[in-house]
Amino acid sequence: MTTELPRDIKLASSEKQIDQSSSNWLPPGLALQKVDEKIMTLNVGPQHPGSGHMRLIIQIDGDYIVACDPDPGYVHRGEEKMAEYRNYITNIPHLERPVIHDSCNILYPYVLGVEELLGIEVPERAKYLRVIGAEINRCIYIMYWLAIYGIFLGHSTMFMWPTGDRELLIDLMEKMTGARVTHSHFVPGGVRNDLPANFEDVCLRQVNYFEKRIKEYAAVFYDNPILISRTKDTGVLSRQDAIRLGTTGSVLRASGVDFDVRKKEPYDVYDEFDFESIVMKEGDSYARSKVPWLDMMESCRIIKQALEKIPKSGSVRVKLKPNPKGKGFDTVYKRVESGRGSLGCYIVSDAKPEPYRLKLSVPSFRNLIALPYLLKGEKLGNMPAVYWSLNYWPVEADR
Amino acid sequence: MGTATGIIRALNSGIKHLAIKRFTLRYPEEKLKFVGDGYQYDPSTGVGIAGLKGRHMLFHDKCTGCQLCAIACEGVAEAIAMVKVPEEHKHNKKAIMPQIDYGKCVFCGLCVDACPFYALYMTNDYELCSFSKEGLIYTPAQLQVKPYVAQDVDIIITDRGASHG
Ligand code: SF4
Ligand code: SF4
Repeated sequence: MTTELPRDIKLASSEKQIDQSSSNWLPPGLALQKVDEKIMTLNVGPQHPGSGHMRLIIQIDGDYIVACDPDPGYVHRGEEKMAEYRNYITNIPHLERPVIHDSCNILYPYVLGVEELLGIEVPERAKYLRVIGAEINRCIYIMYWLAIYGIFLGHSTMFMWPTGDRELLIDLMEKMTGARVTHSHFVPGGVRNDLPANFEDVCLRQVNYFEKRIKEYAAVFYDNPILISRTKDTGVLSRQDAIRLGTTGSVLRASGVDFDVRKKEPYDVYDEFDFESIVMKEGDSYARSKVPWLDMMESCRIIKQALEKIPKSGSVRVKLKPNPKGKGFDTVYKRVESGRGSLGCYIVSDAKPEPYRLKLSVPSFRNLIALPYLLKGEKLGNMPAVYWSLNYWPVEADR
Repeated sequence: MGTATGIIRALNSGIKHLAIKRFTLRYPEEKLKFVGDGYQYDPSTGVGIAGLKGRHMLFHDKCTGCQLCAIACEGVAEAIAMVKVPEEHKHNKKAIMPQIDYGKCVFCGLCVDACPFYALYMTNDYELCSFSKEGLIYTPAQLQVKPYVAQDVDIIITDRGASHG
């Protein structure tokens, strides 16, 4: 026997739910509204809306979105707290877990910071090896992101091709670091090991082929009228809003702001390479999906230049004392350009082998903030196209 | 560009792939080739030697039971436990050696970096699955065995695309 709940009880409980949710941070025009006959609340997630566990509380009026409240936090791992109990070396394997596809880039600011704290001078060859590793990793991440963007839009060819072509680069990383995804390759003082014999030739061959392959994506994906009709002019983020909301990386550059940490604050040897930071004016989902793809071509250029310029011999790692310590109370903040945007690491040291405090400032979380602004007034069917174009990785946002 | 031309171009670039070689690695039948014999580390220079970070290999004639590998792993995964071994070595008075639990190990290789006596290396063996949790725990005697790893194919790039062959 089923009994229908009286209508007002339903209303009361959903009101209460709204009060408890996190929507207070949104400005009045965007906050979640009271549910009535017209407006319905829809939970997208938290069981994997595509890429890791997070929830979007979406309110729709018919087919149109009236409010959206992203609710991250389902994959919080306490990385920052964990870092306070481990020394500067044993922090490495767990700090790369938030974005295993981009594991070199998420370690990069940490490693640069620890080097400054401990006063380590890195050998020149190691700097080039890091650039090669970081750029290959950026491509690996973007290919994975692109594959999911394809499947989000129902374009299964675009899921298969990047997943397959990504294998070329994963194979390179496996030869270089010995692991396919979580490399644990960057350490304070350089990199863990030197290149294997013959790596330069293999790398050049595979990167050239990879570059040829990604150019073919233009016809099947980026010039495809079906993709254009679904992503052009959806979720437009103006230049002012992009700056005001603090977005970063491909989202910021797709809105016409030329900001690439590799160009503006070159770290390691990035100032020696000739590459462009990709900027597009439109600020819609199409531009946001195209900027990372063009970024990959620049990455390929950097890898090829690095293979040419790298010193042919020399040490790649400075030997540290066991349990290296900072000199005294000291703080350092370093940032790098990751596959998603500027990724910062703030370390406070108090002359112990462990950091006193470690804070990761991640691009995913900063890009997610733009989502409620972009989704208002969009059709529900466009939600995946806008959501995933933000270059957002749930696990990284939650740390 | 008109919609129709765009769609035809997209289909066309898909059709071209009928002539391109298959890239998929047919895994259990063929296996990927690796560089070297697994990740190793030279404590005198402090630099590793490139190779796959797979199952470990322990040299009983070199291990002194100093526990440095277990201390390194404490902050990572607590996968290493020091256990008694029956054989007696002059250099290993306590007769203890590392035992590794592959249910916990994350294959970071920091234990290899920690060993100062060239006693712990990694190998190319990556097929470690087992039906029980106990089966994942490798005793020093099991770690001593050098694994046989089939290495058949590498990525080959030709005019007809990349393939494993
Ligand atoms: S590889 Fe890493 S996790 Fe595995 S036993 Fe060694 S230190 Fe521990
Ligand atoms: S394997 Fe190396 S680090 Fe571990 S106990 Fe033996 S000698 Fe010491």
